[in-house]
Amino acid sequence: MQSVVAWLQERLPITGNQLRELTNEPVPNHLKRWWFCLGGTPAYLFVVQIVTGILLAFYYEPSPTTAWESVRYITDEASYGWYFRSLHKWAATLMIATVILHQMRVYFTGAYRKPRELNWLVGMCLLGCALMTGFTGYSLVYEQLSYWGATVGANITDSVPVVGGFLKSLLLGGDAYNERTLSRFFILHAAVLPAAMCLLLAVHVTILRIQGVTEFRFGDEPKDKPDHFNFFPDHLLTELIAGLVLMILLSALATLLPAHVGPRADPLTTPEVIKPEWFFYVTFRWLKLFSRTIAILSMGFIVFTMFVWPFVDAWLRRKAKDSEASVWIGIAVALTIIGLTVWEAAVAH
Amino acid sequence: MSDTPNEPPPPERAAPAAVDRRGFLTSAAGLAMAGGLAAGYGTFAAMAGRFLYPPHPTARGWLFVSDAASLKVGDSVVYRTPAGAPVVVARMAATGGVNDFLALSSTCPHLGCQVHWEAQNNRFFCPCHNGVFDPTGKATAGPPAEAGQSLPRYPLKVDRGLLYIEVPLEKVGASPGCAARRAREC
Repeated sequence: MQSVVAWLQERLPITGNQLRELTNEPVPNHLKRWWFCLGGTPAYLFVVQIVTGILLAFYYEPSPTTAWESVRYITDEASYGWYFRSLHKWAATLMIATVILHQMRVYFTGAYRKPRELNWLVGMCLLGCALMTGFTGYSLVYEQLSYWGATVGANITDSVPVVGGFLKSLLLGGDAYNERTLSRFFILHAAVLPAAMCLLLAVHVTILRIQGVTEFRFGDEPKDKPDHFNFFPDHLLTELIAGLVLMILLSALATLLPAHVGPRADPLTTPEVIKPEWFFYVTFRWLKLFSRTIAILSMGFIVFTMFVWPFVDAWLRRKAKDSEASVWIGIAVALTIIGLTVWEAAVAH
Repeated sequence: MSDTPNEPPPPERAAPAAVDRRGFLTSAAGLAMAGGLAAGYGTFAAMAGRFLYPPHPTARGWLFVSDAASLKVGDSVVYRTPAGAPVVVARMAATGGVNDFLALSSTCPHLGCQVHWEAQNNRFFCPCHNGVFDPTGKATAGPPAEAGQSLPRYPLKVDRGLLYIEVPLEKVGASPGCAARRAREC
C-alpha cells in the first residue's frame, strides 16, 4: 500500500494536508442553517440528472418513429427502468424548484448587490439553461402533451422580434416540427445545455470563492462563538447528509409517484386539455391572458429586468435611501407567479 | 562647442527607433495571429451555423382536390394533406373564379396547435389557449381575436375546371398505426 502511495506521490506531488489547505475555505456560520444550503442542493440534483440521464440514453432513441416506444420500453420492460426514469423526472422537478428557492433566497437577502452583480447574471443564465433543459427533456418523451408543448414553445420562439424565425428554424431543423426535430432536442438536452451548465457552474463557484460567501449574523447567535467553520470536513459532511436525504426523498417519490407514459404524440390532433410542465404554467396562463405579441414582449421585458435587477436595484436605492422597494417588488412578483401557476393548475382551459 | 560631422549619433537616439521597429513587428505579428485565429475559427463557426440551419423550407406542391363544378355554393369537403392534416374546402360563391372557394387550415395562428370543429357551438376551438373562430375562420374570442388573427388559408387554383390546393408535402413522424388510419380515412 505504501509503495502505491509513494508511486502516486512521485507523480502527483501533493499531500493530503496540502489538498485540505487548498480546499479549506472558512465558511460563515449562517450556512449551518438549512435554507442557506439551497445553492448546493440543485448542484447535487444536477449530478443525479447526469448519472440517470446517461443511463436512460443507453435505451432512448431520438426519432419520431422510435422515441415514444423506447420510453415505453424503458418504463415498462427494462430492469429498473421505471426507477431511473422516475428519478430523472423527480430530480428535474426538485432541481428547478430548488433553483427558484435559491434565487429567491439570494434576492430577498440582497446577496446580488455590489460586488456580486456578475454572479447574479451567471445565476440567471443557469436558471435559463435549467428551464431550457426541462423543456427539451419533456419534449423527448414524444407523448401528446410533450409534443404539443414543444410545438407551442417553438412558436413562442418564432414570435421573438427580428431573430425569432431564424431561431425557430434552428431549433426545429425546419419551418415546422419534422423528422429531424427530436434529435435536435436530444442533443440540446443531453449535450449542449449540460455542457453550458457545467461551464456556468464552474464560473458561478469560482466567483463565489473569489468574493467569499455573503455573511449574515443572526440575533440568536452567541457573541463569543467563532464567525466561521471549516469547509472540510464540516461543510462537506453537511452537504453529504443533505445529498443522502435528497436521495431518500427522490427514491420515495419515484416509488410512490412513478413517471408514466402518456398517449403517443399525434401531430394531427391537439388534446382537449393541454398543459406544459408545472414551471411553465405561469407562461402558459400569461399567453391565454394577452395576445401573442403583447404576451411575448412583456415576458421578454420581465426576463430582461430580472437579468439586470442588481443595477435597477442600485438605481432605486440611489434615488431613495434605505428603500425597501426591492422587497415589496419581489413579494408582488412572487405572489403573481404563484397565483398564475395555481390558476393554470386549477382549471382545464 | 559643437558636434563634429563624423561623430556617431548618441546611442539614446538610436535605441527608440529599434524598439519602435521591434514593437511594431510584435504588434503586427500579434494582430496577424489574432486575425488568423478569428478568421479560422470564425469560418468554422459560420460553416457550423450553416450546417445546423435547415437547407430549405418544407417542400410544398399543388395537389388535386375536386372537380370545381361538383362543389355547389354552400358545399364543403374535408381534404387531407399528405401529412394527414384536415383542411376544410368550401364554396362561398358562384362567380366562376378561384375566389369562390376557401381552404381553411386547422392550425391555430396563435401558437400552432390544431383547432377542432365544435358542431354544437358552430365554431372552431383551440384547446391550447382558448382561441375561438367562426365557420369562415375569423377569430371571435381568445388571444387570436385580440391580435386580429384568423385561421390561415391554403392557396387554391382552378385549372381547366379542376380545383387544386398548395400544401406541405412533408410528413411528421406519426405512428405506423396512425398513418395507416389516416390513409384509410383519405
